[in-house]
Amino acid sequence: MLVVDGVHKSFGSVRAVQGISFELKPGQVAGLLGPNGAGKTTTIRMITGFYLPDQGRVLIGGCDTVDQPKAAHSRLGYLPESTPLYAEMRVTDYLHFRGKLFGMDRRTRVAAIEHVISRCWLKDVRKRRVAKLSKGYKQRVGLAAALLHNPPVLVLDEPSNGLDPSQIRETRQLVRELSADRTMLMSSHILPEVERICDRVIIVAAGKVRADGSPAQLIRDSGDQGTYLAQAKGGRAGDDDRFIRIMTTVPYVQSARRTNPDRPGEVQDWTHWVLTSKKGAPDLREAIAHAAMQNGIMLRELRTDAQTLERVFLRLVEESEQAAPEPEPAAVIDDKVRATPTGSAA
Amino acid sequence: MKGAGAIASRELGSYFRQPAGWIIIALYLFLTAMVFSFWVLNPGQPATLRSFFAVSGWLLLPVVPAVSMRLISDELKSGTLEGLLTSPVTGPAIVLGKFFGAALFLLGMLLPTLVFVALLFRVSEPAPDVGPLVSGYLCLTLLALLYLSIGTLATSLTSNATLAFMITLFAILGLMFMEGAYDKAPAWLRPVVGAMLIRPRIEDFAKGVIDTGHVVFFLSTTGWFLLLSVASVELRRWR
Repeated sequence: MLVVDGVHKSFGSVRAVQGISFELKPGQVAGLLGPNGAGKTTTIRMITGFYLPDQGRVLIGGCDTVDQPKAAHSRLGYLPESTPLYAEMRVTDYLHFRGKLFGMDRRTRVAAIEHVISRCWLKDVRKRRVAKLSKGYKQRVGLAAALLHNPPVLVLDEPSNGLDPSQIRETRQLVRELSADRTMLMSSHILPEVERICDRVIIVAAGKVRADGSPAQLIRDSGDQGTYLAQAKGGRAGDDDRFIRIMTTVPYVQSARRTNPDRPGEVQDWTHWVLTSKKGAPDLREAIAHAAMQNGIMLRELRTDAQTLERVFLRLVEESEQAAPEPEPAAVIDDKVRATPTGSAA
Repeated sequence: MKGAGAIASRELGSYFRQPAGWIIIALYLFLTAMVFSFWVLNPGQPATLRSFFAVSGWLLLPVVPAVSMRLISDELKSGTLEGLLTSPVTGPAIVLGKFFGAALFLLGMLLPTLVFVALLFRVSEPAPDVGPLVSGYLCLTLLALLYLSIGTLATSLTSNATLAFMITLFAILGLMFMEGAYDKAPAWLRPVVGAMLIRPRIEDFAKGVIDTGHVVFFLSTTGWFLLLSVASVELRRWR
């Protein structure tokens, strides 16, 4: 449904995007992650046709954005990062205008506007001028405009940017609903959000794809150990070795380390432990609890300190920066700052 | 050219949704009404709107840049151009939509001045000559379109509306005062500079002469500036 095939983009001597490729199948929801200046917005702008790639091509629903721009654009819904809207227009007037740009006749337009107004919770503000709306409502108007022509592909650039926590929650819920029946690519800085919504994550840094896969796959393939935190009681005082011995016999448990030290003169009570698992291990909580029970050790807490997408992301970005220690233009110059006259974009 | 109509209609509406549009119309009509009252309605003088057309032509100098300065600059500044360029609308449709929206506003500004014509016919004996009236309005319209196309190009070059205003104003002034360059130009360049002069064409219109060559000149020059504006907008994709 969406094919990005080896796209390159430079701004003067700055190589913002260097051969990014990926393909999204119908119904797939992908998150595009990367630090500022990684090339996310430039990539998104090449997908939407706002920039034309120096090399490579973008196909939307099989239509090339350079050779068949009209056909490609009519298959695409796009929410730009700062949700630019015409401040002096009323919400419904703006949606009518967007519908006309997409060649929708009046009857289709009216029905589509009613649908998106209801779907994006805009009923209360439909007659209000855009300038009078809160940032959260403006974001919803932008989403409504992107959905108006019922595009099979939706591209959202930082949909939660600048919103307060309750607005982020509302937007996340809406995005999750929208993801049910269309191909979606969204960029975000909020990694837990991407982890919850997206079934695929593409991490870019310095204009290149650094990782591509499902969040679980990226975490699994990261090679980092899983960690479990436990509080135990039942061993003899000072006999930490017994606990370590028992736990390291559990398959996939690599090590056990006590984190609260004995204090002289105190009665041995609950001990705190960090257990690490081997690479590729499944969830070990059940096996750990079983081993403790069989050996008369009482557990009052056992939880995973699981590897998160955020840690994987930070490690990959760090690695890419270490791999290119010389000043890499694409990594340090934010193309969004270049693109806005005020230079105020995040 | 799908979408040009929608853009023109939105553009026209935006002038009336903000005070600036009403203020421009009010100022223009106030000044032209003063000219009509003091210079046209003179007992014993020939019934002609010549002074009204002359002053209106000069008033277009600040009015057209004020109308055109936000056409594309504001889209660049607010980022709404991204919404247009990523919709199934071409660069020419965007530029023409913007241009015609502003052109309709300017024609709407000229429309109430037809009251002056009606008044002149009512109070004059003998009735005024229709030829110079038609050629005068045609000249004003063609001048407004030419200035507007210059303004459209200027506004496509910068996100700063004030800068776009200044570029337009100075470009129009440069065009107006090209006669100075004509006198000093080398002989081989004179035909080219001479063909670009506006004042002799305006004077013909003022006499009531509608020369198709002049009409073609105004329309084709307007077209060239619009073509450059389209190129300027499209180049943003390639930068």
